[in-house]
Amino acid sequence: MKIVLDRPRCEGHGLCEEAAPELMHLDDDGELVLVREEIGEADAAAARAAVRVCPVAALRLT
Amino acid sequence: MTDSAPVSDIDLFDDQVLVDPYPAYAALRDLGGVVRLPANDVYALTRYEVIRGALGDWETFSSEGAIGFNPMVNQALTGTSLASDPPAHTRLRAALTANLSPRALRGLKAGIEAKADALVGKLLAQGSFEAVDALARALPLEVVADLIGFTGRARDNMLRWGQAAMQVIGPMNRRTAESFPIAGELYEWCSTVTAEDLTPGSVGRGIFEAEARGEIPPGTAGHIIHQYLGAGVDTTIASIGNLVALFAAHPDQLALVREDPSLIPAAFNEVLRYWAPLHAWGRRVTRDVEIDGVRVPAGAKVAILFGAGNRDPRHYEDPDAFLVRRNPVDHLSFGYGPHGCAGQGLARLEAHAVIGALARRVERLVAGTEVRVPANVTRSIEELPVLEVIPV
Repeated sequence: MKIVLDRPRCEGHGLCEEAAPELMHLDDDGELVLVREEIGEADAAAARAAVRVCPVAALRLT
Repeated sequence: MTDSAPVSDIDLFDDQVLVDPYPAYAALRDLGGVVRLPANDVYALTRYEVIRGALGDWETFSSEGAIGFNPMVNQALTGTSLASDPPAHTRLRAALTANLSPRALRGLKAGIEAKADALVGKLLAQGSFEAVDALARALPLEVVADLIGFTGRARDNMLRWGQAAMQVIGPMNRRTAESFPIAGELYEWCSTVTAEDLTPGSVGRGIFEAEARGEIPPGTAGHIIHQYLGAGVDTTIASIGNLVALFAAHPDQLALVREDPSLIPAAFNEVLRYWAPLHAWGRRVTRDVEIDGVRVPAGAKVAILFGAGNRDPRHYEDPDAFLVRRNPVDHLSFGYGPHGCAGQGLARLEAHAVIGALARRVERLVAGTEVRVPANVTRSIEELPVLEVIPV
């Protein structure tokens, strides 16, 4: 499973970071950084939660 | 196998429905995820998953010429990000959010918290106050005026203009007809405003500078200013009025926030879920589509009922209870997807600051009866007397 970020659509609301702090965070400029894009079973629930809370649908799982 | 939609004689813009839409929402949700309403010539989307699905699918549920419920307002909104689809929408949205995204707003947090804390502290010291004028309106008007750089005539008219800009999104009823001239004043002002009319160093001045540098198309700065005022004032006022009323009615929930301030964002999510500031918002279906087992024909007008989805028992357990700990991060009140509320970061800064200030200082607010006045699109409290303050 892979997390895909639609970067132009991301506005840095940061709700994904709260849902999955171990997978992603906003950097000092407020740009989203994906710690890793390939997601194993252990992180699947957190990844799905992050995708779910993005208010502008900038994240998806493939 | 698809069927035609169930039909209801409910009128979404009837005075009684506008003041308390929740019984109508429940009746419509029980009929189906999509219900045809001949009174409004729309298909209403009522259940959580149906609404979330529609908000995420701009190709099927178009905003172009479709967000309002009368042709005049849809004509007037042509060319705004609100009423356009990608790819045009993508560029307009970027210009709108450049100064409004959470990353652009990060520097404002401390200032907004200080403003909210000073205002809440002053009102609580009075012992009794009218919470809508003195707090729910006062804070967003000050924050938005300072941010965009409104002074003089624009500052004096922000509340009237903001209310009218929302009202005219409704069908062509008396409220809409009376509000068009006022919305027209805002439109007129925005079409003639220049950089010099806005405070130096403000975001509004910055938008004109971006236009001068060619970063946004010529003539669009006024449109963006229009959207900041038209979309950002009335809705934030509604949210803050709602949160004061809900915490006055539920002191146990305020106590939870006081004991654990990390619940402040969750508390605001629950306020927004429980009472959606926006009642109905339009889309147009671009193709014959099956929604929740029901066939909706190409060209049909859709009314998205955010508040109905927010109380859908298929998605939220015990949906009619106000419970801050449920933290409904996926509530529908900011919309979702490409048109998700562009100002939600600013709304959160303001509301979180007010919730924090109340939770720190107040054991209980004793409120009188709230006054509600029917409005086409924004559901908000008109007057909320706080009769007594019981401090921590």
